[in-house]
Amino acid sequence: MKNAKKIVAVALASTMAVGMMAGCGSSGSKGGSGKSGDSEGIRVYNSKVEIQTQLEEMAKTYTEKTGVPVDIVVQASDGTVTTDLSTAYASNDPYSIAMVDAKDIYSLAKEHAVDLSDQDWVKNTDYSISVDDKVYGFPFCVEARGLIYNADAIKKVTGKDFDPSQYQTLDAFKGLLDELKKGGMKSPTGIMKEDWSLGAHYLAQVYEEQEDPDAFLKGLHDGKEKMADNTKFNSLMDTFDVLMENNYAKDSAISAEREVTEQKLAEGEIAFMFGGNWDWSVLNQYSPSDNMGMMPVPQDTDDGSNTKLVGGGSKYFFVDNSVSEKQQKESKDFLNWLANDAEGQKGLVTDCALVPAFKNNTVEVSDPLGKSVKSYADQGLLIPNYNYLPDDHFTVLGGEAFQKYLGGKSDRATFAKDIDTYWQKATLTEH
Amino acid sequence: MNRDKMSYKTSQFIMFAGPALLLFTGTVIVPLFYGLYLTFTSWDGISLSKPFVGLANYSAAFADTSYWQSLGKTFIYSFFSVIFINIVAFLLAYAVTSGIKGQNFFRAGFFIPNLIGGIVLGYVWQFVFNRAFTALGASIKGGTVPSLLSTESGAMFCLILVSVWQYAGYMMLIYVAGFMSVPEALKEAALIDGCTPGQALRKVILPLMRSSFVQCLFLSVTRCFVVYDVNLSLTNGEPYGSSELAAMHVYQTAFKHQQFGTGQAEALILFLICAVVGVTQVYVGKKGEVEA
Repeated sequence: MKNAKKIVAVALASTMAVGMMAGCGSSGSKGGSGKSGDSEGIRVYNSKVEIQTQLEEMAKTYTEKTGVPVDIVVQASDGTVTTDLSTAYASNDPYSIAMVDAKDIYSLAKEHAVDLSDQDWVKNTDYSISVDDKVYGFPFCVEARGLIYNADAIKKVTGKDFDPSQYQTLDAFKGLLDELKKGGMKSPTGIMKEDWSLGAHYLAQVYEEQEDPDAFLKGLHDGKEKMADNTKFNSLMDTFDVLMENNYAKDSAISAEREVTEQKLAEGEIAFMFGGNWDWSVLNQYSPSDNMGMMPVPQDTDDGSNTKLVGGGSKYFFVDNSVSEKQQKESKDFLNWLANDAEGQKGLVTDCALVPAFKNNTVEVSDPLGKSVKSYADQGLLIPNYNYLPDDHFTVLGGEAFQKYLGGKSDRATFAKDIDTYWQKATLTEH
Repeated sequence: MNRDKMSYKTSQFIMFAGPALLLFTGTVIVPLFYGLYLTFTSWDGISLSKPFVGLANYSAAFADTSYWQSLGKTFIYSFFSVIFINIVAFLLAYAVTSGIKGQNFFRAGFFIPNLIGGIVLGYVWQFVFNRAFTALGASIKGGTVPSLLSTESGAMFCLILVSVWQYAGYMMLIYVAGFMSVPEALKEAALIDGCTPGQALRKVILPLMRSSFVQCLFLSVTRCFVVYDVNLSLTNGEPYGSSELAAMHVYQTAFKHQQFGTGQAEALILFLICAVVGVTQVYVGKKGEVEA
């Protein structure tokens, strides 16, 4: 009897101890947002953390005008779009509108999204996402990537105004770098080592510049295509080698911090970095010069890809089909306001500093990188994003294989082989 | 009132243990079994349907070489962390119970790292390794010195160092309690009987403190095996995925690669390993415990 008691006591004590430890170790609360409870009002999930304050302001303006309360819920600091949405679904409290990435629209739309084909804004954009001929994704903004330059820093060394269109080939670009180095800029480039920058942006560009990315990836999957023999791969890697050679953090490329690199670029210590117009939010913290912009990645090619940035619609809203009819209607109204109302348009472009995805939004883009993107987009000089890469692509190839290359732990042949191996084993996303 | 009656015992149990049991069931037992169920499905985390796939996730987990590599690294990391955490904690405890001046101040000081959250701590140390140490190295050696975090073994070393720094103060408290629980009379008797202070420590104090060792080892082993926060903020698995420990790999698989089932299966394997190691260690440790 005494023994049994002891066992129970020990069991309970350890139960509680483990419980407490599990409590400490778990990822914490899932951001329990205050739910209003009544059917009025909509909840908007925001996965673009940096514009939360601006969105809240816009929501306030909207509520004052229409009387519909809009609650903007920001992505949990330890969350991803998937975890946040699945939490919302699991607790039976879905967002009326959710901001997700393009790939999520393809995987979510059929089960969760409302058909938006009949909406006014559809005709005003080239970037909406349709699945089975039904429009599900409302494009929030346009983003593109390329080489970010600091024209002031270049002018200071060369004495001439910088004209990016003269440096579309790698040879011309190399010439400029040599000139900069001779003029005293020790190492004119910076490289972000982040897995998304290497894997989802730079390496993805290799696929996106193929004539038919789908067929190319299928070829890699079937083993018919070999990365090492691919012209685009080699051409882009030639450029990458030049960037690596001139990297300010050449010896410790894989521990270079993004903030430091962007600070150097903003202050003109380096002149070039591969990135996108989203980098403005970081650059902007270091009082950058206004004479910055984006240019295509220089390549020795004549297929025109060195005259284009890569990009398109970024971040998509979908309206959830599990919220009430009334909320669905109110959600659609809110999206319409964003796309068509002068106040909504201004909020998006001026307050959030984004590039609009709608042709009828003519508010002038405020930041220099956004201006570049807008001008390339208006001229039709954007190579579209490839939105169907497997979810582990950027961590496996970007975070491991490409970082090894950047750190000098593998050569181009090994890297190419790593890519081949990955794709041979990968499951291609159907679309 | 008959205290042996079943109804009496049940009501007592519910009164004292009920709330904790309820919470524990809701936050640990139910998710555990739900997680177990998920390992038999190919759920992506969001979809409405959870297709049943049998043992496919387990074979995927067993075939996932990078998972086993990360598990191997977790073993190495845990091995060194546990040893150094406990050595450092014991020495600190010994120092702050020996009657030195301002020992309460030191106790508080050594404990403070544990009050900083792992995420913050990782970022702070990242700054130290990437900027402070490199600047220091550069000023001594001249030229540029690459950060420790940019090499594979360096990153692992940093992880261990930071963990030791974080947990040593916490374990120190347990050792301090252990030191204090040894009756003064026994220590005095040992010294009177002719023990040197070293002998007294080895032959009298240490055996009586055995339960502190068991607790500290158990806590540090289980914590090291499932470390995630420091791993995320200090190295994020870099360079090239070489410092990705098991818990982080599980997170990546489940949430980033959206393979909930496989991630769950891998988490379950980690849980089993952790449980076996922890329980064995407690069992072995408890067996030799002596009472004063």
